Amino acid sequence: MLSDRSRTLLKRFLAVFLLLAVVLLAWILRQKGGGDRSVVVYTSVDQVFSAPVFRRFEEETRIRVRAVFDTEETKSTGVLNRLVAEAAEPQADVFWSGDSVRPFVLVERGLVEPYLSPEAEQVPVGFRAADGTWTGTAARARVILVNRQRIGERPLPRSVRDLSDPRWKGEAAIANPLFGTTTMHVAAWASAWGEDETKRFLEALKFNEVRIASSNGEVKRLVISGEVTIGLTDTDDAFVALQSGAPVEVVYPDQDGFGTLIMPTAVVRMRGGPNSEAARRLIDFLLSAKAESMLAASGAHMPLRRDIERPGHVRGVGEIRAMEVDFAEIARQMERMQPWLRRWAGM
Amino acid sequence: MASKMGRDVSPRARRWEQPVVIGAVGAVFCAVVLLPLLAPMLAVVGGALRPESARSLATPGPWLLLVRSLLLAAAVTLVAVALGTLLGVLLGRTDVVGRRVLLLVHAFPMFLPPFLLGLGWFTIFGRQGLAGGEATARFLFHESGHVAILGLAFAPIVFTLTALGLWNVDPGLEEAARVVARPFRVATNILLPAVRPTIGLGAILVFALAFSELGVPMFLRVRVYPAAVFSRLGGIDYDPADAFLLALPLVPIAALLLGAERRLLRGRPFDVLGLRHRGREALPLGRWRWPASLACWALTVAAVAPLLALALRAYRGGGFSEIDRWIGGSLFNSLLSAGMAATAIVVLGAVVGHACARSLPGSRLLDAVGLLAFVAPAVLFGVGLIALWNRPETRFVYGGIGIIVLGYIARYGIVGVRSLTVAISQSPVSLEQAAEAFGAGYLRRLLAIVLPMHGRALVATWLLAAVFCLRDLETAVLYYPPGLEPLTVRIFTLEANGPEPVVAALALVHVLVTAVVLAAGGLWLGGRGSR
Repeated sequence: MLSDRSRTLLKRFLAVFLLLAVVLLAWILRQKGGGDRSVVVYTSVDQVFSAPVFRRFEEETRIRVRAVFDTEETKSTGVLNRLVAEAAEPQADVFWSGDSVRPFVLVERGLVEPYLSPEAEQVPVGFRAADGTWTGTAARARVILVNRQRIGERPLPRSVRDLSDPRWKGEAAIANPLFGTTTMHVAAWASAWGEDETKRFLEALKFNEVRIASSNGEVKRLVISGEVTIGLTDTDDAFVALQSGAPVEVVYPDQDGFGTLIMPTAVVRMRGGPNSEAARRLIDFLLSAKAESMLAASGAHMPLRRDIERPGHVRGVGEIRAMEVDFAEIARQMERMQPWLRRWAGM
Repeated sequence: MASKMGRDVSPRARRWEQPVVIGAVGAVFCAVVLLPLLAPMLAVVGGALRPESARSLATPGPWLLLVRSLLLAAAVTLVAVALGTLLGVLLGRTDVVGRRVLLLVHAFPMFLPPFLLGLGWFTIFGRQGLAGGEATARFLFHESGHVAILGLAFAPIVFTLTALGLWNVDPGLEEAARVVARPFRVATNILLPAVRPTIGLGAILVFALAFSELGVPMFLRVRVYPAAVFSRLGGIDYDPADAFLLALPLVPIAALLLGAERRLLRGRPFDVLGLRHRGREALPLGRWRWPASLACWALTVAAVAPLLALALRAYRGGGFSEIDRWIGGSLFNSLLSAGMAATAIVVLGAVVGHACARSLPGSRLLDAVGLLAFVAPAVLFGVGLIALWNRPETRFVYGGIGIIVLGYIARYGIVGVRSLTVAISQSPVSLEQAAEAFGAGYLRRLLAIVLPMHGRALVATWLLAAVFCLRDLETAVLYYPPGLEPLTVRIFTLEANGPEPVVAALALVHVLVTAVVLAAGGLWLGGRGSR
């Protein structure tokens, strides 16, 4: 029989052992990947797709990637704003944007260090800046996700303008245009159709009781669950929906009109970042065929490089009639429309 | 013991020692809490605000959203108080079958981020959930789901406070009542009125937590004001001053909560909580014993159901085998930052808690500052911490784990202050007075008498503070340093398009780690008796 004192000591030993075991386990898990050198990257590319790419980079270079990921709600703008907020004392070496417009906000504020990566030569001219301020890579498209069960025998939508068609009243969804790629899409409409026409269209969406979701991921959920019949989202979200076995179909809109919006993710080197050499190596890797292939396989991103064999489920950029866009103009438009969009969104 | 205390310090130094130490610790605490709140305000005062931002508060939209958020928080509070009080009385004072186990199981969710419980309920009642369908998903992704999930998540706070309060009711009062009244009337006419302040305190805490909750409303896509402020920080035309302006209406709300709490505890010492009479005989429920026990056990199933659902989802989808691929350093970051913050919170709590317990000058102000930080929305801190610490000279703080630790200390400092206030206020002041009479200075009394007397309370406070830091999502999500995100943040960011089994498995890791920390605490504190 143990004395009270021995029992107390035993319990305390167990308590300390338990705590130490947890800390040790956490420390072991932490040790994976990366060496002494590190590079800081802020990214609005979904963590589920970007993290494996970072891990591969760590394995190949022994450079540790310290990443800040965006939340779904503030996708594309959360980390962008953090970059702006940290401008006086930059923390990030690289910004990997989920679209090719946000980098212009940084360029305009003088926060970007141009870098012409040798890998950029493989990227088509329209998807990179000649001065090296940004370089596009694995792209996504804006698509209409359709719930096959809910749509029944009705014809599929063919254009984004169908979202304002009374036949879809109360049955469509888009993400909040203040955030994410929907901001870029609205700005692209404004560039293509004019600001007034775009505002009329957005008001028509409201009149048509289009659901405003918090994110593209939420649009996907609404369509999968059948709460709406159609929803405007990105190809990676649509791919996740297809992979889950949900009864959905993907429509590339306006193929017989002004085309589908193609949005390359974009890699930017930040001015004043603390790890310049490692930043260059990470950028080279993100633009490499290896990284594009990984993103094509995991998130159905469309490779921009021509030297990549696409998986069967990924459409090539050349196979889609793409919307003609000037990314710089879209960026300007995006900032111009913010106050109006904020009122439109009720915030 | 007291006679050995009075050495080395001159009478003049002794006179100044107490105000200097409390003042220094208090100043650091105030700086950690108030400077991040003031930094963006300076931008507003300094004219950095754009006209369109100022106009945003002149429109009805934000105000309607604010009212809606207040109503939702009130609804959550109602659910939590109703459930928590009922369980507190049943499990705290009656002879419900298996109440020791039930006490532990019901209290546990209090230590988990509500967002994780939301994930669990989604696994059950989502459209493709274990028991899900069209109707359940509609209920879940709606204000009703928000209220139900947060109500269940926060009910343990009220339940625990009620049970603690009941254990502290004067046994003589209760025994006298039992001579002339049945147990039900004793409970409703004597016990409940006696613990009304603790129930009220629980209600205020729940309201504050429900109002500033980000994870659940963002996950369920329910529009609430703090989430809108958080989202506003994500706008392309970001401006900290703008975000701060939007967050300004939250300040009077925090102040109101503080005032309500002060009013509730007015005239009552801090020792309304405690374990003084825990061992007393339970009230017999008679023929209601089994129905009440069944109801409690049914609620227990509801408490653990989301965790079991997460385990099942992770197991079926192979999520456990993916843990080491996705968890990275997040668990270590969580433990390190929580451990460092908890240690600082205990130091802070020892000084300020002692000052509060002995009603020393300035203590109420420090307690108010701590409570204000706890009830203030975390987004306020996020904006302020970036503005305040992102400078070349403080890069070592901002770029490392230190910035998370600072955020935790500011937000959860009150946990240490209040826990140690309660503990110290239950011990006699006579020993300290005797030591003082023999010439012992403030620091010597604190280090040689107060702290050794409350060793177990210090350990308990450290554990409580560590668990609060571990469960945090809202504070760190805005400004976590690159590669140093805590586990809760990793789960939250991975949830977007991440594989559900992996997210479920990571959530379970968090649950298990919390359980291990609490179990270790239980072992340590249970080492000498049960009190």
